[in-house]
Amino acid sequence: MARKWQRWVPAIAAPAVVAVVVAGGVFAASASADLPEKSPHDVLELAAQSDVQSFSGTVEQSSDLGLPDLSSVPGGVSTGSSGGAGGGSGDSSSAAENDASLASALELLTTDHSARVYADGSDKLRVQILDQLAERDAIRHGDDVWLYDSSDDTAVHTTLPDPSTLGEGEAPAPVPTDIATPGQLAQKFLDAVDPSTEVTLGADTSVAGRSAYDLVLTPRGSETLVGSVSIAVDAETGLPLQVEVLARGASSPAFSIGFTDLSLDAPSGDLFDFTAPEGTTVTEKPFPTRDELQGDGSTDAGGTHPEPVVTGEGWGSIVSLAVGADASELTSSPVMAQLLTPVDGGQALQTALLSVLLTDDGRVLVGAVPVDALEAAAAAAPAVPAPPATAAPAPAE
Amino acid sequence: MSSDTPPARIAPAAAGVEAAAPDTHGGAPDLLGRRSRRALGWGFFASELSVLFRRRRTWAMLAALAAIPILIAVAIRVTDGGDGRGPAFLDRITQNGLFVGMTALVVSIPLFLPLTVGVVAGDSIAGEANTGTLRYLLVSPVGRIRLLVVKYAAAAVFCLTATVTVSLAGILIGIALFPVGPVTLLSGDSVSVGESLLRSLLIAVYVTLGLVGLSAIGLFISTLTDAPVGAMAATVVISIVSQVLGQLSQTEWLHPWLFSYYWLDFADLLRQPIEWSSFGGNALLQLGYVAVFGALAYGRFASKDVLS
Repeated sequence: MARKWQRWVPAIAAPAVVAVVVAGGVFAASASADLPEKSPHDVLELAAQSDVQSFSGTVEQSSDLGLPDLSSVPGGVSTGSSGGAGGGSGDSSSAAENDASLASALELLTTDHSARVYADGSDKLRVQILDQLAERDAIRHGDDVWLYDSSDDTAVHTTLPDPSTLGEGEAPAPVPTDIATPGQLAQKFLDAVDPSTEVTLGADTSVAGRSAYDLVLTPRGSETLVGSVSIAVDAETGLPLQVEVLARGASSPAFSIGFTDLSLDAPSGDLFDFTAPEGTTVTEKPFPTRDELQGDGSTDAGGTHPEPVVTGEGWGSIVSLAVGADASELTSSPVMAQLLTPVDGGQALQTALLSVLLTDDGRVLVGAVPVDALEAAAAAAPAVPAPPATAAPAPAE
Repeated sequence: MSSDTPPARIAPAAAGVEAAAPDTHGGAPDLLGRRSRRALGWGFFASELSVLFRRRRTWAMLAALAAIPILIAVAIRVTDGGDGRGPAFLDRITQNGLFVGMTALVVSIPLFLPLTVGVVAGDSIAGEANTGTLRYLLVSPVGRIRLLVVKYAAAAVFCLTATVTVSLAGILIGIALFPVGPVTLLSGDSVSVGESLLRSLLIAVYVTLGLVGLSAIGLFISTLTDAPVGAMAATVVISIVSQVLGQLSQTEWLHPWLFSYYWLDFADLLRQPIEWSSFGGNALLQLGYVAVFGALAYGRFASKDVLS
């Protein structure tokens, strides 16, 4: 009997060994580094002085915004299919395109992604979003910008007018496919650091095998949904390696983006030489003029580009934009219908970090605040009569 | 047919086995079979392979697998393309025949490949037990560990053969029916025909690796029962359950531990540059499955009273 018992020893040992190896790996990954003491201010400086321009790495993005799964919406996430065609002032193809690009942007935000990023200097960038059995690429080489989608074999080519006229940092961000690198996102938060934000340092961490300082930005006010933002800043180069945004009261991040793998060597040059493969449908898209960019950098809802109005300060600020007739077009699309819930005076979308309110009088209010704050803001500042309904369509889109 | 005259180099070493089990191991009886352990191991393995690949069932399964790319290619050839729907890579076939093999792999990975692998792995021990030959195998100078290892290795070889069959049949029918040229990768870059064939080979290795974990599970189940059909069915069902769990967002924490987790990530080999992380992850994961279920199979088989 004893011998029989012994024969089961490997069967018990094997899972134990596997468990030990797995646990060892997890432990090694989370082992924190022991870095020289620095003040939060020093780390801010370190991040500001970072001048890493050439790197290649893998970026993981994950989000838990509390949005419904959009993959089942007809005409939704599968890029290129025609969704809410027709209606409104724009012609049907541009409406469908808007819907598709909206869906694609939402999909990028709300689902988990893995992407490879290659950068060499300020004007060469390649981002590859690794989907299952497919890939979306955004390639910038000098003035040429290519977007390639392998799932429907299409490419979009844009020539940038003149790099020097573009604002810093936003030049290589042409598009819906563009997934921000941790650096790009971190920069936005760091630029916004003001007295309404408390800056502290967390325990030293390790990201993608590199030791990093953990910079924690905590909003002082209580009006915002954002609980804290933590940015892992590489101890050696100051490059932001990971950004995690926590909702108020939450213990796990609602949105996080970070390197899982990073090399600071310049990637091979031929990665940036892209020509559309044979058989690909190529669309030439003129670069939007500077006026259009200034009018509205955040949305491509087409048509009018009225000035956004910002109310409130710091983390609790609310952006209000009069979109006029476009609002009804937006709410009629199947993707939005799935997301929106009717509230007093309009329709609202509430996520863990951000709220959006589409009022019945044709305004869009966005802010990192609860929906009722948006409703209050909408009620406090009634629609500006000037642009909405009568606004002429933008010159040739 | 070679069934009556297996190659001379395997006959002596496998003699003990063959003499004891003439029904399934149809080698010529040869009583010179006292060789070193190593020679016996290899001889036994070769004999096991020849038994496996001389079975009509094995050939029928390989033929069915080869039929998948052929059906796909002929259907596309006859109907002149499609409307962009269907499995990945399907719409690229008309431009480049080399994609037939990859489309066929996408189609066969979820069901057909696990099905055939489940049949072979599930049959490995239970089949011998069912035909009453297991006892004879074990009284001949074949230890239980060696029997398990050889059975498992044969199942792994079948995984490779099955994958290569799908891939190769796809490439050949693609060359026959469609133009062939530089292959466009998922990243939009193109590689030469030679490199694309090399990548196809890598993909075959990747998919094979993905199936060895399932083979280990099949081997373990096979030691539990004397009914081969039950073991085969259970193995196939487990592969399906694993994929269903992999689809549910409620079990997301479990996903990286499922043996089917990396199955469709073979496309990472079609990126430029190649994304090796899934290859490594796949290999490690499958190694874990082989270790755990191999040990379980040993525990069960070594402590089992073999009565048939």
